[in-house]
Amino acid sequence: MKKIHTVYIAGLFILILGIGATWVIKKADQAHQTPPPIIKSVPDFQFKTHDGYTFTMENLRNKITVLDFMFTSCTGPCPIMASNMSRLYEQYRSIPDVQFVSVTVDPDTDTEDVLAAYADANGVNDDRWIFIRSDIKSVKELSRDGFMLFSDDLPAGHSVKFVLIDDKGRIRQYYDGTDKASIAILQAHLNLFLKNLDS
Amino acid sequence: MKYFFRFSVFTILMTYLLIFVGGLVRVSDAGMGCPDWPKCFDRWIPPTSLDQVPLEFQDQFNVVLAWIEYCNRLFGAVTGLMITITCYLAIRYYRKEIKIMVPVIGAFILTIIEGWLGGVLVDTVLNPFTITLHLLLALLIVVLLIYASLQSYYLYHKSAEVESDYPNSLKWFIYATGLIVLIEIIIGTEIRGGLEMIRNQNPLVNGIFLLRMLGPFKYMHTILGIFLVGLAYFIRKILIIESLNPSRLIIGSAQAMLGMIIVQIILGESLVFFDVKPLIQLYHMWIASLILGLCVIQYTAWETSRLN
Repeated sequence: MKKIHTVYIAGLFILILGIGATWVIKKADQAHQTPPPIIKSVPDFQFKTHDGYTFTMENLRNKITVLDFMFTSCTGPCPIMASNMSRLYEQYRSIPDVQFVSVTVDPDTDTEDVLAAYADANGVNDDRWIFIRSDIKSVKELSRDGFMLFSDDLPAGHSVKFVLIDDKGRIRQYYDGTDKASIAILQAHLNLFLKNLDS
Repeated sequence: MKYFFRFSVFTILMTYLLIFVGGLVRVSDAGMGCPDWPKCFDRWIPPTSLDQVPLEFQDQFNVVLAWIEYCNRLFGAVTGLMITITCYLAIRYYRKEIKIMVPVIGAFILTIIEGWLGGVLVDTVLNPFTITLHLLLALLIVVLLIYASLQSYYLYHKSAEVESDYPNSLKWFIYATGLIVLIEIIIGTEIRGGLEMIRNQNPLVNGIFLLRMLGPFKYMHTILGIFLVGLAYFIRKILIIESLNPSRLIIGSAQAMLGMIIVQIILGESLVFFDVKPLIQLYHMWIASLILGLCVIQYTAWETSRLN
């Protein structure tokens, strides 16, 4: 009799644990499925890519974009950012709906040739990772007004953020481009947008 | 002396509950719910709204995930405290009993390492190897606690296995079962880690397809699982047919083990044929840890009968 009681109590306990766990999993799933809010639309801009094409706001449409501001001769956080961006570029190799855009904040040094060589050095061999440039005034405008990033002291004082832009060209979230934990969340959000893009 | 046994049983239950909660954090993908350690968003009690979160962490804040991870840490802290008290009670009552002192102190040291490893997990953004190690240490802690607890039980109930006589072969069956369960748990965590890795690279592919991509790992896991059913069946057979006066504890644990392994195979296969459901994954891991505990119960009973 005592043994049967123990079995019942254990069964009940396991059932209660299961109900609790189901609730927690559901809540967590809802949290994972909630996309980051719309912050603002990226304004119109016209830049040149590292392979000589024109790149505008229109190129952000119908794709999920991860964008950052960098310059090739930077020795501060840029190598970490480039390495993290490069890892993302490799991971999403099979998904053409995701593109990576790096905007140089030192256009005087970073000519098209320099950017092309830098792209090559980072293993870029398709059009999913694009390096873009314009005159410093337009860069500053895009960084400060378009993306609301700190831009007073370019090139050295550029932001280390990775910006996630949805398929309608709207800024959805900023992530720390030097922090792995932050990038893991970027990936989760990116995957969420991809699923929504697919359905 | 009774205090030690009662308290250690309570600590074992709490440790198992903690393994469940840890698994829950894993399946609900809330491991990075707090991006720092031991504090959560630089606070001892996690924030409930975004304006309480320091600026550098704002992109990582999700109130639900933060609180899931925080509950795990809170549970961990309480369990750690209980293991410390168990250790204190062992020193107080069983200072001369090596078979109690060594495992309890071992469990205590491993608990400190386990806590530190929790911090490493956050620092490495859930490195898969560290996750497996985190689980294995938890299992080792619970194994040591069960062994120590039973030793104190047998000290107190001297007649428990006096009339029992089990064949020597039983020991090897128990060893093999324990070892294979451990291997199964490691393969299982690898399958889960592999699944996550493929899922990250192929975010649009569904769970069942991903599981099939893992091929050989998955087959080995199933084959060893079926092998475990055979082992558990033979252990039960040895106890019923070849043993003399097997104790209720060892018979009960053998029955439970056989039942649990069959349940495990059903749960495991349902993950393959239906979908990779987090709740099933969670129970699949947790029941495996319970089976390991049953192995320790059987081994200790066998060892005690030999000494008698």
